[in-house]
Amino acid sequence: MRTEQIGDATASGAALPIELRAISKAFAGIKVVSNVSFDMRPGEVHALMGENGAGKSTLIKIMAGLYQPDEGQIIVNGAVVRFPSPKVAHAAGIATVHQELLLFPELTVAENIFLGQTPKTSLGTIDWTTMRRRARELLDELDSGDLDIDQKVLHLSVGNRQRIEIARALAQDARVLIMDEPTAALAEHDVQRLMSIVRSLRRRGVAIVYVSHRMPEIFALADRVTVLRDGHLVATRPISEVDEPGLVSMMVGRSIDRLYPPKQGTDGEVILELSGVSHRSVVRDIAFKLRRGEILGLAGLVGSGRTETALTIFGITPATQGQILIDGKPVSITSPEAARDLGIAYVPEDRASQGLIRPQTIEENIALANLKRLTRGVFVDAAKVAAEARNAISRFGIRARGPEQPVRQLSGGNQQKVVLGKWLATNPRILIMDEPTRGIDVGAKAEIHLLMRKLAGEGMAILMISSELPEVLGMSDRVLVMNGGRIVGEFDKEHATAEAVGTVMTRSYDKEQAA
Amino acid sequence: MTVAKLFRHETILAILTVIAMIVLASLSDKFFTLDNLLNQGRLMAEVGLISLAMTFVIVTGGIDLSVGSILGLTAILLGVFWHNVGLPLPAAILLAMVCGTFAGWVNGLIITRFSVPPLIATLATLALYRGLAEGISEARSVRGYPEWFFFFGQGEVLGVPFQLWVMGIATLIAAAILGLTPFGRATYAIGANEVAARFSGIRVDATKLWIYTASGFCAALAAVIFVSRVTTTRSDMGTGLELDAITAVVLGGTSIFGGRGTIIGTALGLILIQALKNGLALSGVKGDGTIVVIGLVLIGAILVGALFDRNRGG
Repeated sequence: MRTEQIGDATASGAALPIELRAISKAFAGIKVVSNVSFDMRPGEVHALMGENGAGKSTLIKIMAGLYQPDEGQIIVNGAVVRFPSPKVAHAAGIATVHQELLLFPELTVAENIFLGQTPKTSLGTIDWTTMRRRARELLDELDSGDLDIDQKVLHLSVGNRQRIEIARALAQDARVLIMDEPTAALAEHDVQRLMSIVRSLRRRGVAIVYVSHRMPEIFALADRVTVLRDGHLVATRPISEVDEPGLVSMMVGRSIDRLYPPKQGTDGEVILELSGVSHRSVVRDIAFKLRRGEILGLAGLVGSGRTETALTIFGITPATQGQILIDGKPVSITSPEAARDLGIAYVPEDRASQGLIRPQTIEENIALANLKRLTRGVFVDAAKVAAEARNAISRFGIRARGPEQPVRQLSGGNQQKVVLGKWLATNPRILIMDEPTRGIDVGAKAEIHLLMRKLAGEGMAILMISSELPEVLGMSDRVLVMNGGRIVGEFDKEHATAEAVGTVMTRSYDKEQAA
Repeated sequence: MTVAKLFRHETILAILTVIAMIVLASLSDKFFTLDNLLNQGRLMAEVGLISLAMTFVIVTGGIDLSVGSILGLTAILLGVFWHNVGLPLPAAILLAMVCGTFAGWVNGLIITRFSVPPLIATLATLALYRGLAEGISEARSVRGYPEWFFFFGQGEVLGVPFQLWVMGIATLIAAAILGLTPFGRATYAIGANEVAARFSGIRVDATKLWIYTASGFCAALAAVIFVSRVTTTRSDMGTGLELDAITAVVLGGTSIFGGRGTIIGTALGLILIQALKNGLALSGVKGDGTIVVIGLVLIGAILVGALFDRNRGG
């Protein structure tokens, strides 16, 4: 497969906008990219896939001039080149749209697009007229004529900021555009818009390196796909020759028979019941029952009120109306500690800012929600804390040097397991998981799904929020759909299909609300 | 956090302190005498008490600029309650300290309840409390305290100044609370990531309220010792003391962004500053020169700390 592909690349000749040959790169003696060849053709979308740590980021950083390879060649338009800095890579037509968007919030849209390459008048001052006209044109080409070019970037949505970054790349006349997890932070309608932008860029002949975990996007957009594993090239294939299970097994190096663990029947007693619960205008009149041993999926678009409902149950934004009952008794939850003491655990959607204290160690993080239990007399019992952490590490298979490793050094999947470990150590009966597998590679994702099913089997009541419809459908025993802060649909597992749930999720209820 | 990591900055600081001591001792034969060292300990206690609470405040990512003014206000109230109101002196002391502690609680309330950044909240109360102190005192000082009162600031127990005992015990308590208790864990967690701390069921607001209240209490305690030591009450007492305390804490390795710092570091920072002040003065260096040296040491310590941080990161 590999020889074929290299043969292919040489055959198509000098016109390749970028080609990597037998690239290797090591950090501190550890090879993170080993003998990888990769090429881009004009006007193609080339998906780059692999688990976290497979070497994707290093490879795209080598293309962007952030890292220099130890071995191998970079070839642009048939000539061997070196990228000693990102500036040189830019000049060679290679631009990156970063995962965390690097814009200047206090500058306008037009200023951001032309930063560092501002058009000048003959006097050497900024040519505002040309700059604004060109910015307008670029955004029009991206079907984003609705963006006000004189607006500060500060208040723009993630989707809009991303379009500005793409416009900036176009202003640099990029021939290769590297997109690193471009849809990770986007709402569903922004994803659709981004996909149409990617298609129009392809028509203009731009070659797009598309790094993503999301299968539907890969199959909808990519022309070819390259899979890396442990720093090695597994294969480069036309998308028509692979299917989803095939790609997954290429990434993890083993075949995953079932994407989701099998469901069990559930008819446990009701643990949690909400009736008429509201918080301001974001959570409205929510009523549902959660049973022992059940995974209840909460589907909906970003902003539909799912996370807000979870935050209300967990006491971050206490209910302003309605009643929450646990074991049939009304309870008042006004703070996270009250929720925790009632046996509710919440694994939040944003690991870095809500779930973990990243500079602190695994044991410090796990102890944080359990301090009362881990204290002897007035002092924290260091031995108990360490034991608790070691227990979590072995129970959840957290790959770490030990309990004293800072969590920021762990991969996304392992960080998520630390958050889970922290909360399961509180012995909860109700577990709320908000985007349990966001930004986690395929292998760790399967492990977390398996763990959720196992917990449910042991009698845990799980409320799962997810923006990935396949995850909701694959994991849930029952699905609730939220839209505009309300529950607008309920499906049992037989009737929960992508079409049915998707329709209710995206329907506009404005008219009914007005009536 | 491993012990090795925790002590890295502190170790450097300890070595630096020892070197400073040796150099200063060689510059002046009056420096390294028991009398002088104990006397320096006496002078250090007031800033020291405030620095202990300030360490907690800064570890949460906050700052308390009002401590100098709380000290001034407590001192004035003590004098006024006793001299003008006519309360018995012990009652006046207690009541003044309650007022100083209350002033700290008000800081905490403004910061937690109304989400005012600590820098702004305490900058405002710095002016407010100093203004109150000056208004109440009407620019008159109070003198003539009874003899027994001077024990707090001038007396000795087993040959060691009274306030040095207070300071020592307070240091042990503070180190135990910050290093070993759930409260200390919460303090670090809030400074490192307040949102995640709240999401972990930590009582963020209550913890902060306690810390700012304790800061007020320490300033009030320092005020009593201060008045007893100098035998007079004046409204400008403690002016600029907040900066001395912050300097000691930051020199001690506490991150101004929160989440990191130790009481041992603060204690070492205090000792180093006091040794430099005194030793340089004894060696004939003028006041301005001393300040320059302290500034340079602070910059040096922070640069070294940043260097270690970079090696640690990633």
